[in-house]
Amino acid sequence: MSDTIRPAINFKEKALELLPEGASFESCLTCGLCSSGCPASGIENMDPRKFIRMAMLGMDKELSTTPWVWCCTLCKRCQHVCPMNIDISQLVFFARSNWPQEEKPSGIVRSCQLIRSTDSTSAMGLPPEDFVFVVQDVLEEVRVTQPAFKNLQAPMDKKGAFFFVNQNSREPMNEPDEMVPLWKIFDLVGADWTYSSKGWAAENFCMFSGDEEAWYEVIKKRVEAVKALGCKVWLNTECGHSYYTMWNALHRFGMEADFKLESLITYYARWIREGKLPVNSKWNRHNITFTVQDPCMIVRKAYGESIAEDMRFVVKSLVGEENFIDMQPNRSANYCCGGGGGFLQAGMTEHRRTYGKRKFDQIATTGAAYVLTPCHNCHSQMEDIGHFYGGNYGVVHFWTLICLSLGILGENERTYLGPDLLALID
Amino acid sequence: MREETRKFDTELAVIGSGIAGCAASIFALNRQIDCAQVGNTGAVAYTTGYLDLLGAIEESSAAVAKPWEGLAQLKNLHPDHPLSRIPVTDIRKGFDQFATFLGECGITYTAPRESNITALTPAGTLKKTLCVPATMAAGPEAFADKTPCVIIDFKGLKGFSAREVVANLQDQWPTLLAARIIFPDMDKGEIYPEVMARALEVPATRTRLAELLREAAGEVKVIGLPAVLGMHRPDHVRAELEQLTGLTIFEIPTMPPSVPGIRLREMFEQVFPEKGITLIPQQKVTALSFDTDGALLCLSDNYGPITIQAKAVILATGRFLSGGLEAHITGISESLLDLPVSQPPSRTDWYRDGYTDRRGHPIHKAGIDIDTSYRPLGKNGKPYNEHLFAAGIILAHQDWIRGRSGAGIAIATAYKAVEAAEKFLLAQHA
Ligand SMILES: Cc1cc2nc3c(=O)[nH]c(=O)nc-3n(C[C@H](O)[C@H](O)[C@H](O)COP(=O)(O)OP(=O)(O)OC[C@H]3O[C@@H](n4cnc5c(N)ncnc54)[C@H](O)[C@@H]3O)c2cc1C
Ligand code: SF4
Ligand code: SF4
Repeated sequence: MSDTIRPAINFKEKALELLPEGASFESCLTCGLCSSGCPASGIENMDPRKFIRMAMLGMDKELSTTPWVWCCTLCKRCQHVCPMNIDISQLVFFARSNWPQEEKPSGIVRSCQLIRSTDSTSAMGLPPEDFVFVVQDVLEEVRVTQPAFKNLQAPMDKKGAFFFVNQNSREPMNEPDEMVPLWKIFDLVGADWTYSSKGWAAENFCMFSGDEEAWYEVIKKRVEAVKALGCKVWLNTECGHSYYTMWNALHRFGMEADFKLESLITYYARWIREGKLPVNSKWNRHNITFTVQDPCMIVRKAYGESIAEDMRFVVKSLVGEENFIDMQPNRSANYCCGGGGGFLQAGMTEHRRTYGKRKFDQIATTGAAYVLTPCHNCHSQMEDIGHFYGGNYGVVHFWTLICLSLGILGENERTYLGPDLLALID
Repeated sequence: MREETRKFDTELAVIGSGIAGCAASIFALNRQIDCAQVGNTGAVAYTTGYLDLLGAIEESSAAVAKPWEGLAQLKNLHPDHPLSRIPVTDIRKGFDQFATFLGECGITYTAPRESNITALTPAGTLKKTLCVPATMAAGPEAFADKTPCVIIDFKGLKGFSAREVVANLQDQWPTLLAARIIFPDMDKGEIYPEVMARALEVPATRTRLAELLREAAGEVKVIGLPAVLGMHRPDHVRAELEQLTGLTIFEIPTMPPSVPGIRLREMFEQVFPEKGITLIPQQKVTALSFDTDGALLCLSDNYGPITIQAKAVILATGRFLSGGLEAHITGISESLLDLPVSQPPSRTDWYRDGYTDRRGHPIHKAGIDIDTSYRPLGKNGKPYNEHLFAAGIILAHQDWIRGRSGAGIAIATAYKAVEAAEKFLLAQHA
């Protein structure tokens, strides 16, 4: 696909325009720390330092056509380790946007089209009425089959609710029972929350496709949905890029929003500290070990250390401090799993797994039996590389473990538990 | 969307995350001073891992064998050198505390001794240094004893060539051999030391590498490898490889981007927050101002603006590479506060005519001046502000590259600056 003619970008000029003073490519020391720390280095014979060097040398045609821009996950680790704070991902994003629509990886483009096809903003194209139906259907079943939750609520379009809660489409579409643990948690802490039939979905592949206009349109729809219900907080559930695409867009496009963006992780931590979520690790009688994956999109690229701390606090409360093993490196220095940036949707499986090898090694080093992560892309990618490279770890959502710890995890909500965890449930 | 500024309050703020900044935070921890640190990686990421105190004195062509004695000579010849102004006992304390801290955090160093160690460089030349990481210690010993040894490198790894090392050392170390192997699962394209080091944290990779190493060593019992023996538990990785192979193994530093620097950096980033330091990595302070109560640091990270209110500040922002000093057509300036910079009278005096002139170049001694309490001087020759202290290679009157004294200056001046800041803070509380 690389020999089609397309407008070549003047990367050097673009870099001057995009990058702040002091962090321009001209200040690059060519030290190679970025490449050494980037899991995409070597794929398609490219790496971040080489990308900069080629930009400085005016090799615009090559940079405009290299498929590597779809293998860089825009994770910003290169910037994190660069002594000069140079951000390569901005140029990669720009290069993506320059690809003719029909030549971009079709999976990413298609996901963006689907997002725009309904008011749900769902990358799986699930329309509002279907979402409302699934939620209602699952709720009724829980009320019938789990007597302790016969009054469980899953409010829809409730005006004035405090939290506007988003949901990754994978749940209503493929594994609807996975929504239930979340509802139980809200029920337990007495949260005033609602789903919205519009703009409820969490994914946003329009950003990854390099289509700024589409990105803006999706966010606009979501912002309007929150405003229409008059919620105070847009609560991002266990998904990484949905947070970043919203948060970043509000700044980037100068959008007005009179509500706050918050991550569910922050609230898990708060509710545990306040005693509203009385989790403990006593259930972990066999000292099953856990590690945690910091999603780039909410840690390095957004909140930084504070959310990384909250995540660790929650995990340790859930599994016991002695059963928690941190990956190295971690927090803002963590490696992207390789599922981000649309890589999972891009159809470049071999490259994606090459990228993911670094993550696999990190997990293998911990020897942990499970990885916890509040991100769907991380979740899918880590499962895939685990199978591919012969790992024997499981990947679990936070909500699953919280409900497990509280003894309220229903039978249909245990998909991600291995035999060792299932054996601990009475 | 409204941006909320995150505010931190601290006793001591350290600006800079080079060796001086990190050492200052360690000394503050040891003195139980509440501390916050901000700064980009800086030169730490490029270090060989060796901690130099004093390897050369300008006037002499011979390397310094006994650094502590060398300090006395330095004091006679260059009384204004930062190391000349610090009692040797304090320099020792600084080094001891710094090396001990690193060891406790998983990167063991050899303890400072009376004599310098003759250590190997990436190219197979020799340099004098005071302390080396434990993973490298067997190298200088094997060299001193001329023990038969194989230097092993890896296909695809740039910046380290076993043949080059052997060629450069052959005259002095005739029993040295070179070998090349393929790192497990890394048989294609360019490979990086960092990637190899992380792979060696995985037990299965160690087992596979051990087999290859045994084969390459043949009858020889000591082998030298580029510095790739693990990232977070290097001592453990080396010990286990030694056990698996039955060989003595040592590391030799590689050219940047190299593992020893990344090890230090990641260790600091891991350990400092755990020990209660407010660490804001990879960011620069954009404004620093003072009022009667202390200092206000302004910066921002990916998430938004941050301010740090501190009662005392240590400026450890390095020189040109790290951005502490800036070179302009009109002269050299200090970046944050425009502190006066001791420098050659004009740009034409920055460099001597001969590039290799043994006396070095005047620009390499440019920096800020301090008083005896480590307070930088303002334009009037008096301390710029009572809340402000300084440490590291930003200080004037030293050429750390030629003196082979980078870490030494950073650690010793950080020790003194923290001591002075503590004294000031205690007086304030009283
Ligand atoms: C390639 C190389 C190899 C080296 N090898 C060795 C060796 O083998 N042995 C040895 O002993 N020494 C070595 N050194 C030297 C050693 O690293 C220095 O002695 C040491 O870095 C000096 O410490 P410093 O902290 O004063 O300055 P630097 O390391 O330069 O650090 C300055 C810090 O200040 C930060 N900073 C600047 N401006 C701001 C701001 N506005 N806000 C916040 N932070 C700011 C920078 O980001 C940086 O973190 C080497 C140096 C280099 C460059
Ligand atoms: S880490 Fe930064 S300075 Fe070093 S090569 Fe990469 S972009 Fe350039
Ligand atoms: S953003 Fe991530 S994947 Fe892309 S070049 Fe930087 S480190 Fe590599």
